[in-house]
Amino acid sequence: MNDSRTPTGKTAGVSRRSLLAGTAALAAGTVTGFPFINRMAVRAQDAPLKFWQFYAPGGQVASQVAWFEKTVADWNDSHAQKIELEYVPNSEYINGTKLATAFASGTGPDIFIISPGDFLRYYNGGVLHDLTPFISEEARADFPESVIANRMVDGKIYGIPMEVEPMAIYYSVKAFEEAGLNENDVPKTWEELLDVAQKLTTPERYGIVFETKPGYYQNFTWYPFMWQGGGEIQSEDGRSAFDSPATVQALKFWQDAINLGVAPRQVLGYGANDATANLGSGYCAMQNVGIWAISQLTNNAPDMPFGVFPLPTPPGGKYVTVGGGWAFVANARGRNPDAAGEFCAWALASMEQGSIDRVVNWCTEAKSDMPPRNSALEAGGDAFNRGVMGVFSQEIHPGTRAEPRVPPEVYKIISDAIQQTQLGGADPQATATAASQQLDAFLASYNGAPIL
Amino acid sequence: MTDQVAQISYPSEERGLSTKHREWLAGYLFVLPDALGLFIFLGVPMVLSLVIGFFEVDGFGGYRFVGLANYQRMMRDPLFWQAARVTALYAILLVPLLFVCGLGLALLVQKSNRFNSVIRSMFFAPHVVSLVVVALVWQLMSVDKIGILSRLMSALGLPGVSLLGDPNLALLAVVAVSLWFLMGYYMLIFLGGLQDIPVQYYEAAEIDGAGPVQRFWYITLPLLKPTSFFVLMISMVAAVAGAQAFDIIYVMTKGGPANSTAVLIIYIYQQAFGFGAFGYAAAMASILVAALVLMTAILFLFTRGGRFEHA
Repeated sequence: MNDSRTPTGKTAGVSRRSLLAGTAALAAGTVTGFPFINRMAVRAQDAPLKFWQFYAPGGQVASQVAWFEKTVADWNDSHAQKIELEYVPNSEYINGTKLATAFASGTGPDIFIISPGDFLRYYNGGVLHDLTPFISEEARADFPESVIANRMVDGKIYGIPMEVEPMAIYYSVKAFEEAGLNENDVPKTWEELLDVAQKLTTPERYGIVFETKPGYYQNFTWYPFMWQGGGEIQSEDGRSAFDSPATVQALKFWQDAINLGVAPRQVLGYGANDATANLGSGYCAMQNVGIWAISQLTNNAPDMPFGVFPLPTPPGGKYVTVGGGWAFVANARGRNPDAAGEFCAWALASMEQGSIDRVVNWCTEAKSDMPPRNSALEAGGDAFNRGVMGVFSQEIHPGTRAEPRVPPEVYKIISDAIQQTQLGGADPQATATAASQQLDAFLASYNGAPIL
Repeated sequence: MTDQVAQISYPSEERGLSTKHREWLAGYLFVLPDALGLFIFLGVPMVLSLVIGFFEVDGFGGYRFVGLANYQRMMRDPLFWQAARVTALYAILLVPLLFVCGLGLALLVQKSNRFNSVIRSMFFAPHVVSLVVVALVWQLMSVDKIGILSRLMSALGLPGVSLLGDPNLALLAVVAVSLWFLMGYYMLIFLGGLQDIPVQYYEAAEIDGAGPVQRFWYITLPLLKPTSFFVLMISMVAAVAGAQAFDIIYVMTKGGPANSTAVLIIYIYQQAFGFGAFGYAAAMASILVAALVLMTAILFLFTRGGRFEHA
């Protein structure tokens, strides 16, 4: 028998005692040494600044990946402080834990992108760096007030928009033809919209899709319907303005679409911002979606002819749509906030031709968006006036109002009101009144930056 | 070999440690890595979570001691109570269904043969699939008008039913998917329990003229008490705080429509990672843990720990 034990009961080579001692030492070394190793990495000032976003280098749209990589490469070629892209998948970026845990533990990115819906959370948390010193007066004036206002507090700029994404209604030309409709039947009022949607509804298809999943995006898409009748979230005296006929009318409109059976209670794909999965698949004949759907449909449903028209209006209402869009921001608690801020301004808010061209390329080649700068709109020329983009720039975009920036508590109250009426069948008037009371209770103790 | 063994001397007197103490020390040292892991990744976060519940945390490194304010907020937060109601309803529906279906399936496939092996694998198969995939597939199947389930209901004379879009149905749909996902796992646990029951009991009962119902009622069920207790306990924990309760609901409904599927862990997640209210979320998590401990204790009391009555 080959017994490897020594006379003292130890295994040959490594004794149990040494194994345990070694393991304990390794564990202790790892546990106690880890924070120092970690801090060493964090404190390395010459390391590239991290730029978190959901486009590159791992994004699925090659033109967007290329735009981000070129932007950073151009910066790195001419600046000592290097920048590195870090890709975070879209769903994780918007609904996941990565950003929240990073900021909570003080390890947030140096540069990142935010939507107006998130602005107040980050601003009130003190992590947005003032970008005003890096932007010239001329460049500041190049951004229309409606685009830049919700990224400003007390006259200072805290975010530089990359794009403006107005909402509209897209329709399938084929579905219109099947129902005996043509472009002259494009609805102009809410009533007409429901009427046309009824004509387009079949056992296999819905007439129109509005967002049904609760979230920031659903609120975003609902706001213009409230504004069109003159409704607001907050009045000028700072109190809730939610309990208004315009709000009730907007809540009821979405509810009517469900009750009439012309709009679904569930949408396909990753939501009603996904035009390919809904309009492109034939699940619906019309869809309430933003300008980004042009590139979605062009790339993913190239054989489907589609048209677009401005949001219809209620009786006595005024046309208005909502414009979303993401913005570059710098982390005030990052390793080099000034360099991060300088990068944001250099990339998107400089009067140099390279900066203007970068905005044009983003809005025409990488995506299909309206530019946030007058100079870019001019430089883009015909690109913004052709086909469906032309409808956006001439008919839809002029009525764009910036996406409101609201704290999470306000978002949740409005989201619940939309959900309860749209899908829960609640009375719109009673729901608006209850939501307004909740808003007043919150606003009475709110002391962050102004809600816009 | 005999000589070698005879020569082995355990130096029990070395450095003053007795053999017993050396074995004791060795045992604990072997357990140490795992215990350290549990302490660092479970114990410390639990204590920290309890502590954070007494702070207002802005999500950006700012902490302010607020005492019991988060707990007071919880008491007057209608959405917290709504989430608690949804959680209770989800658990009340899911736990008994899991018990009945798990046991029923185990009884059906109890006999070992090739056919039953295939059936067992089929019932267990959902459990090895990612919860996100499970949720996405069921979501597609139940989508309005064109989903296979919607078409089926239309064929049965129920057109226009929206399983995930109707607040009256969404929770039931989520319970059904959770049940489908979990029942194979509970079937396996019950199978283990059934195989522990001595076959002689059944043979004796059969000789005495007991029918299948009597054998189940007087032999199977009483002797399955420890297994039943275990199943009830873990299914209750799974229903209140299990991965499936979060993943399936988050993917399929995001807590909607109209908060009808917003269970507590969804609401806690939303408060922590959506709104940055980590203090409030931690306070709710502490209450959830306390409620689970209480429910488990009650279960222990009522079932006497699942022990045999005459043991």
